[in-house]
Amino acid sequence: MIKNYFKIAVRNLLKNKGFSLINIIGLAVGMTACFLIFIYVKFELSYDTFHEKADQIYRLNVDIKSSNNVMKLGISSAPMGPAIKADFPEVLESTRLFPTGFLIKSNDRLFQENSACFAEPSLFKMFTLPFLKGDAATALKNPFSIVLNQTTAKKYFGSANPIGKVLLVDGKHPSTVTGVVKDIPVNSQLKFDILYSISSLDAMYKGRLDQWGNFGNSTYLLLAKGTNARQLQAKFPAFLKRHISEADRKLGLDYDLFIESLKEAYMDKRQSNSENGNIVNIYVFSAIALFILLIAAINFINLTTARAAERAKEVGIRKVVGAARSQLTIQFLGESVILCLVSFIVAMVLAALLLPSFNQLAGKLVSQNIFTHGYIFAILPVSLLIGLAAGAYPALTLSGFKPVMVLKGKFSTSAKGTLLREGLVIFQFTISIILIVGTLVVYNQLNYMRSQPLGFEKNQLLTLDFGGDENVIKSCESIKNEFRSVPNILSVSASSGSPGNGNANAHSEIENRQGTMQPLNLNMYDVDYDFIPAYKMNVIAGRSFSTSYPTDSTKAIVVNEATVKALGYVSPKDIIGKNFSQWGREGKIIGVVKDFHYHSLAQEVEPLNFRINIANAGMFTLKIAAHDIPATIASIARKWKVLIPQRPFNYAFVDDSFNKQYSSEERFGTLFFYFAVLAIFISCLGLLGLASYSTIQRTREIGIRKVLGAGIFGIANMLSKEFLKLVMIATIIAFPLAWLGMNKWMQDFAYKAGIQWWVFVIAAMLALIIAVATVSFQALKAALANPVKSLRSE
Amino acid sequence: MIKITELQKYYRTEEVETIALNKLSIEVKEGEFVAIMGPSGCGKSTLLNILGLLDDPDGGSYLFNSIEVAAFNERKRADLRKHNIGFVFQSFNLIDELTVFENVELPLIYTGVPSSERVTRVEKVLDKMQIMHRRNHYPQQLSGGQQQRVAVARAVVNNPKLILADEPTGNLDSSNGNEVMELLTDLNEQGTTIIMVTHSEHDARYSHRIIRLLDGQTVMENIMI
Repeated sequence: MIKNYFKIAVRNLLKNKGFSLINIIGLAVGMTACFLIFIYVKFELSYDTFHEKADQIYRLNVDIKSSNNVMKLGISSAPMGPAIKADFPEVLESTRLFPTGFLIKSNDRLFQENSACFAEPSLFKMFTLPFLKGDAATALKNPFSIVLNQTTAKKYFGSANPIGKVLLVDGKHPSTVTGVVKDIPVNSQLKFDILYSISSLDAMYKGRLDQWGNFGNSTYLLLAKGTNARQLQAKFPAFLKRHISEADRKLGLDYDLFIESLKEAYMDKRQSNSENGNIVNIYVFSAIALFILLIAAINFINLTTARAAERAKEVGIRKVVGAARSQLTIQFLGESVILCLVSFIVAMVLAALLLPSFNQLAGKLVSQNIFTHGYIFAILPVSLLIGLAAGAYPALTLSGFKPVMVLKGKFSTSAKGTLLREGLVIFQFTISIILIVGTLVVYNQLNYMRSQPLGFEKNQLLTLDFGGDENVIKSCESIKNEFRSVPNILSVSASSGSPGNGNANAHSEIENRQGTMQPLNLNMYDVDYDFIPAYKMNVIAGRSFSTSYPTDSTKAIVVNEATVKALGYVSPKDIIGKNFSQWGREGKIIGVVKDFHYHSLAQEVEPLNFRINIANAGMFTLKIAAHDIPATIASIARKWKVLIPQRPFNYAFVDDSFNKQYSSEERFGTLFFYFAVLAIFISCLGLLGLASYSTIQRTREIGIRKVLGAGIFGIANMLSKEFLKLVMIATIIAFPLAWLGMNKWMQDFAYKAGIQWWVFVIAAMLALIIAVATVSFQALKAALANPVKSLRSE
Repeated sequence: MIKITELQKYYRTEEVETIALNKLSIEVKEGEFVAIMGPSGCGKSTLLNILGLLDDPDGGSYLFNSIEVAAFNERKRADLRKHNIGFVFQSFNLIDELTVFENVELPLIYTGVPSSERVTRVEKVLDKMQIMHRRNHYPQQLSGGQQQRVAVARAVVNNPKLILADEPTGNLDSSNGNEVMELLTDLNEQGTTIIMVTHSEHDARYSHRIIRLLDGQTVMENIMI
């Protein structure tokens, strides 16, 4: 019997090639999207699960509260980890990672390594980082010991044994390679090429490990099995009271400690040293994947029930010769399962082909080869389930036909069936239109953020990273002058950072409107006298730094408008001359710059100050002429080689690095775009199928109308109208839903493009145009047919 | 074998109620060949459908081999049907996607006959209907007469006690029609009960008895000699 079902299923699929193709393509595309998203979601949820003790490891977080904001940090300060371990027996181990960058010299070759960390031996007791060479227990014990990952070891030493080899760090610290660990998997928040023993940090910067108020390192805690994290957390306020020194307390620093599991830490958006995931994106994409699959399944249901009339005779005959309803149900379900299996195979091939592009889209190596995942076999039953689910309704409807009716030709598609089909088409297009609106809104917001004036001149600004090299700092002015001599260089300045690239945060106290010293968190750039003019920032009160005032280098800061507001001043000029105290410096505020965007436009412009401090500089900013840019860069590179031979030449454009902040939004937009295209494509496939069946069913009517004098366009219009009506209803349903969803998405941005009315107009037009194009093809074909033919076929 | 008493069937639409069978009572004995005649809309096909358990009556009794079947549910009806009744239609009603062999095999599949036995039985009946050489053809590749022979083969392959034929020659020319009538006569002579709806006096003459219906009631019975 199974053989018979199989046979007739295959023959049916082959006989109705168009129908089969629409279904297989639709389902396969849906499954492919779903499968790729499944891999992505699984990958995102797999972060750091490979550590054997993953469920015992927690990250220490800090919320720093000040008068102007609460800074939510995924980082902590150096003494916290060891103190927590000492105070709480349930904390078995703690480990700290201090991210940094090094200039490494190996065999006379120079490497700027930006993925490096100071780390301590306990790291290997907590995290699963298998050693290929060396001893985990001792590798990071002594000062100036280095552990490399496999790739870096190979880069430095090829196939030679790296253990015992000496590398020169930052041009002055000979350091010994004591271990090589396996490359850490992509799905880990811990990312490093080089680990440097924490005792080296202590040796290089005395006292760095004792600063309670310096938040810069990650701290991870290993809790004893069965420890209640919340209960432990509840003990932290008392712990802080015990440990924070009087001096720190006087500073007015107020903070809370939290711990969160590795998994939570990955999905947490707080500012940290490690890569973040985004749980909302995971939900959004999972939902979209599901919807796309649903749209494809709906095609199957719609086309099968629309074709019911064709299958009705077969049902009748089978019933007459003795088939029970259950047998027919099984037969039809079998057909949909076969169709799903074929789609599944096509989907796997598609997924394998698309994987490289998908990795690129996701911005990371989500998977190298789909066939290496064991769960490809787990997907198989899922796709069979889809077959059963999509086939259930048609199977039950078809198998329920009364043989008397269908064999007498009295069969007609019921109004209920038509209504259901129409409802499902509306659903498909609702989803498609929501996705179109979503795509347009995301792109519009991106475009808005990119095109907003940032409050400084971002074009033709080139940053050159010298990694805070002491020798460069020592001869900073003369190097700047040398660069100025290069043709097409308009200005040169040195600073700790550039807008869009991150900055330090300084706990500061500034005299507020009431005349008291108000503590607040200030974003800060250490700059030179040329920085503010080079970026063409707008000084709206007071003045910029000037060498004419000797105190400017030690006793002056320039703030932004947001600082003025945070301190309660009405006008920027009111803050000029007020006192400040910051990181050991005290003096007066000498100027106010108009607010400019130094973070992504997703964030509000926060209080910020500049101060003169070349000692903290890490980069030069060169303003270059708009013409001959490649030649200018080449000249700069040549100059660099002469002036700073100990450092590799690394440059970036300020506008590029600023826009890099939007890469995650761009990815979100691109994914949205592709999914919208898929959804509308699959929906249109379904529409094409329905339209063609509807025209076939109305062949006779069309013939009669033509004989009676109806024109081609009249008929095409008549046939298209009913489908366009559905798309229009879908538009009406989709708009408020899309508005709600996108409005929520928009909340995350401090500077919003808003949801423009034309987004809806374009979405509606697009959906309608695509639907018209799909349907009218069929309608025109039917309208152009010779009526004699269609009437004869009756 | 069949005894219906005061059988009723109505067709209702929102406005009209049509009486298809009006307290009709008929008895057919085992081995009989009965023809049912009457003008269009007199209820002959309705009667045949009810006799074949494809449709249920709105009132009255239907005894099949002394068992009351009027109130059977779909599963029971399907079961009774597949073991006891064969159908032959005017429009042949073969499944286009199946070959001649597979079409004839179908009832055997549904009654759970093992595969090897199916082959012998189907071949035997195809042989008998002289259509063996067409066993691998699809219905569209056959003439009307050949298709009806396949349909008859399918109706008899399960050795039913009763064959219900709904205008079996309606779509055939006279020589093909005669062939089909000869086949039915042969089957009847071998013991199969046959009830045939027909418009053709010529075909009706093959039967033992003609029941004439009008407006859902028997108006006359002719015994053929």
